Amino acid sequence: MMDHFGLPPADTGVEIAEGLDTNLGDVIVPMWQQRLRIFAHNKLAIASVIFLVALVIFCFLGPILYHTNQTDQATALNSPFNAAPSTRHLLGTDSSGFDELGRIMFGGEYSLSLGMLAGIITIVVGTIYGMISGFLGGIVDTVMMRILDALLSIPLLFLLITLIAVFTRSTLFLIIIIGVTGWFGNARIIRGDALLIKKLEYSQAATAMGASKWHIITRHVFPNSMSNIVTVATFSVADAILFLSTLGFLGLGIPAPQTDWGTMLQEGSVQQSNGFWWEIYPTALLFVLLIVAITYVGEALRDAFEVRLLER
Amino acid sequence: MLTYVLRRLVQSFVVLLIVMLIIFTLPYFETNGILAPAYIVLGTHATPKAVHLWGVQNGMFHPYFVRFWNYLDQVFVHFNLGHSYKQNLSVWGIISLYVPRTIWLALTSLILTVLIALPLGIFQASRRNTAFDYVATSTAFVLYGIPAFLLGILVLQFFSFGWPHLPASPPGGVAAWAMFTDPAGFVLPVLTLTLLSIAFLSRFMRSAVLEVLVQDYVRTAKAKGCGTTRVLFHHSLRNALGPIVIILGLYFPGLLGGAVVIESVFNYSGLGIQTINAASTLDIPTVLGITLLVAILTLLGNFIADMMLGVVNPRIRIERSGQ
Repeated sequence: MMDHFGLPPADTGVEIAEGLDTNLGDVIVPMWQQRLRIFAHNKLAIASVIFLVALVIFCFLGPILYHTNQTDQATALNSPFNAAPSTRHLLGTDSSGFDELGRIMFGGEYSLSLGMLAGIITIVVGTIYGMISGFLGGIVDTVMMRILDALLSIPLLFLLITLIAVFTRSTLFLIIIIGVTGWFGNARIIRGDALLIKKLEYSQAATAMGASKWHIITRHVFPNSMSNIVTVATFSVADAILFLSTLGFLGLGIPAPQTDWGTMLQEGSVQQSNGFWWEIYPTALLFVLLIVAITYVGEALRDAFEVRLLER
Repeated sequence: MLTYVLRRLVQSFVVLLIVMLIIFTLPYFETNGILAPAYIVLGTHATPKAVHLWGVQNGMFHPYFVRFWNYLDQVFVHFNLGHSYKQNLSVWGIISLYVPRTIWLALTSLILTVLIALPLGIFQASRRNTAFDYVATSTAFVLYGIPAFLLGILVLQFFSFGWPHLPASPPGGVAAWAMFTDPAGFVLPVLTLTLLSIAFLSRFMRSAVLEVLVQDYVRTAKAKGCGTTRVLFHHSLRNALGPIVIILGLYFPGLLGGAVVIESVFNYSGLGIQTINAASTLDIPTVLGITLLVAILTLLGNFIADMMLGVVNPRIRIERSGQ
């Protein structure tokens, strides 16, 4: 996982799946089933997946069941501000009179969907850049890697703040800049893969048989680096959510009528000295659980793709 | 070794030039483009003619690369990063006013982090899979899942509005020495940044030491009768330092990014708060100037880490002089 520090965590290796029996006798088990078994062996990952699904249902379908004033500013103005939790407002109201529980769902929709979209941009751009750089090699690789070095030497948060200052602010723009600034590390990882795979026997054999570069990239390099792409994509989504919320907290996030969990926490922290706990803790708890759950899923995916654990 | 240092220096310089090219190009995307400063100097109601004249006088209509050359000349020869749009100060003036405070914050917590996380990592690795290891690892994991700003909010909640009553407000003013005159206010920002760094680094520390503990020379050392302490601190630590030094070098920009958030949480007026204020008031030269400075610091951090790697690891030193 890459966090606001822009570095992947220590490799926890394959310890999690110790004692897992992948040898099922003489029956040949399809690879995806073996991977599923390894993934399912990790109870924390399963719990995380269940939590994530529940969170998506809560944020996107919750407003149908629990519809109060979470989006309507006119009714919010007529509601009590900073009201403690009651039967009318299950988690109280915030400093603008919005219902806190409804606001968590509303902000969650933005955090989840924007994080998802930005994460997808990150992995697509990173994969294309890394593949080209690693596969072509030579002078192209050197130039592309120096450009990457330059981009990586501007700390990500400063780069984001700079881009926000120079360009106009909108929700679409936020998705784009988080996507466009988040792929540097991914490109490095994918490039390493491409460098490695193009030297392997099967790629060389394909070259010897006269396969085109395009064929080798699409049929050999890309499928074989799929494990890294999927894992990195998972962590990228967590990063994107983190960066979106950090920007929200710094007051540079999603513009006013809309919100996300970072912006909500910033608003809550202003009321902190008054002891209005309901404006911070519920959002904070869901947020931390979300990040931890995505991280667990990512680590379980990495184990599932670990070839050493597969039956040969 | 000297050729390696020189090659590495040239490489860093090329990267710096690319960074400067990016930073130089960004204002072209401003609403008024490169002429935006004209409206600051001449006022918002300046006539197009006056703006054009200002542009000609300041060489704004020169070709792109001529302007880039002038920019390089301005930065490297005259140390001039431009003038702030909103404050009556040069960008360099703003930086020199606030950078010591940020450096104090970052440096203090970096030192504390190394002092705490390094022994912790060694202890965890040597007591691997014991209750202590599990507690430490999962604490670090939870802290790691908490975004920087949220950790700041929670620290504020527990230590300032909660029991021990440490002051929530940091040393005021802009004086670089304020942390010595008001050390109590300095505690919480440093504590938060240190907790963040430890959460992030202790995992690396643990795995770096673990990697070493399974090596043959550690087994040999044990076999010839070395005590646990000697094996850990004499044989293992030195070999585990390599990866840790790299991580510390790469971590430096993260520390500055973390400082931005922490400064914002605790309202600690430093470079980070200046950057955010400048960004929200569209003070572009200030933002770009600070970003350039931070990029230079990052490159410097990476360079130093790379050099230190040769110092702590003789194998790498020999490999490099061989080339």
